[in-house]
Amino acid sequence: MKKFIIMGVVSLLLTSCAQSISRSVQYPKMYEERPLTIVVMPPINQTNHVEAKDFFYTTLYAPICEKGYYVYSPMMTMEMFQSESAYDAEQFIEGNLSQFRNVLGADAAMFTIIKSWKRNNIGGKLTVGVEYILRSTKTGETLYQREGLIKVDKSVSGGGGGWIGALVDLAATAVNTAATDNVVAGRACTVFVLSDMPEGKYSPLYDKDQKLPAGKNNVKATVKK
Amino acid sequence: MKKLFIAAICVIALASCQTQTLYSWYDSEDATYKYTKRGTDELLTKAMAQYEKVINKQKGVRKVVPPGVNAEYGFLLYKAGKKDEGIALLRAEIAAYPESEKFISRIIKQLEK
Repeated sequence: MKKFIIMGVVSLLLTSCAQSISRSVQYPKMYEERPLTIVVMPPINQTNHVEAKDFFYTTLYAPICEKGYYVYSPMMTMEMFQSESAYDAEQFIEGNLSQFRNVLGADAAMFTIIKSWKRNNIGGKLTVGVEYILRSTKTGETLYQREGLIKVDKSVSGGGGGWIGALVDLAATAVNTAATDNVVAGRACTVFVLSDMPEGKYSPLYDKDQKLPAGKNNVKATVKK
Repeated sequence: MKKLFIAAICVIALASCQTQTLYSWYDSEDATYKYTKRGTDELLTKAMAQYEKVINKQKGVRKVVPPGVNAEYGFLLYKAGKKDEGIALLRAEIAAYPESEKFISRIIKQLEK
């Protein structure tokens, strides 16, 4: 039995090794250009949920800082984007990005396309689908690209049991997810999808992560919050 | 043997819980979002309290203020009338992160116009 378990674990390890591609193979341009400064572009919203753009914009900043990059404050760049009528990133996603290099000093621009933003109040779940594209302001090339469909489960357990307890649970879940859980969900999605992005200068893993595994280009997952 | 195995699993589970972040963010993201959305004085006070915390209580791996926070707080202070304090924090951003100079000097110039 014991041998069987060990064999099982070993074969699991082996199969997971065999399938993974290293970060340096998956994202070679990240290691060639080594961007340090990243400007977060206003998200491109393809959903009917109008507010998703604002929710999501603010949640991009901290997770990218946590990857070790210098990220320009979205609050301050937003003022600039709005005053230059550049709040719609659609016009830049395939265009010339040199102005962001000249005006901000940004090495790269992070574009996001929100593809789905769905709420299920009864289950307390939010499903967020986003594509992340990091483009160089120097060469215009895509340095990193990954898409995720992340289900964020914030359901609260507790209550008194029985049908009243179930109602209390339901109400608590509805309250809990109503306010800024959009912010929590957006952040959870970004953290999950960008987990395989090569580390920036301020991370202890900077320049030491080339051999770490990169994830699939398209990722689906459920995150508990 | 079984006990040892369980203990080992507990240790691994505990160790993985302590994933260290580079910076401490507290509730700054949420507070800033709410303030930029509704812009009331009460929300500004709340956001500022979070900035103070992020600037003064860093428990992350780097033990330094995260990128952009000194600048954001300085920008808000300047707009709230505390001009000298605001400019000093914007300059602190450049000192901590020299790569921010192009953008931040531009902001300082615009504010001082």
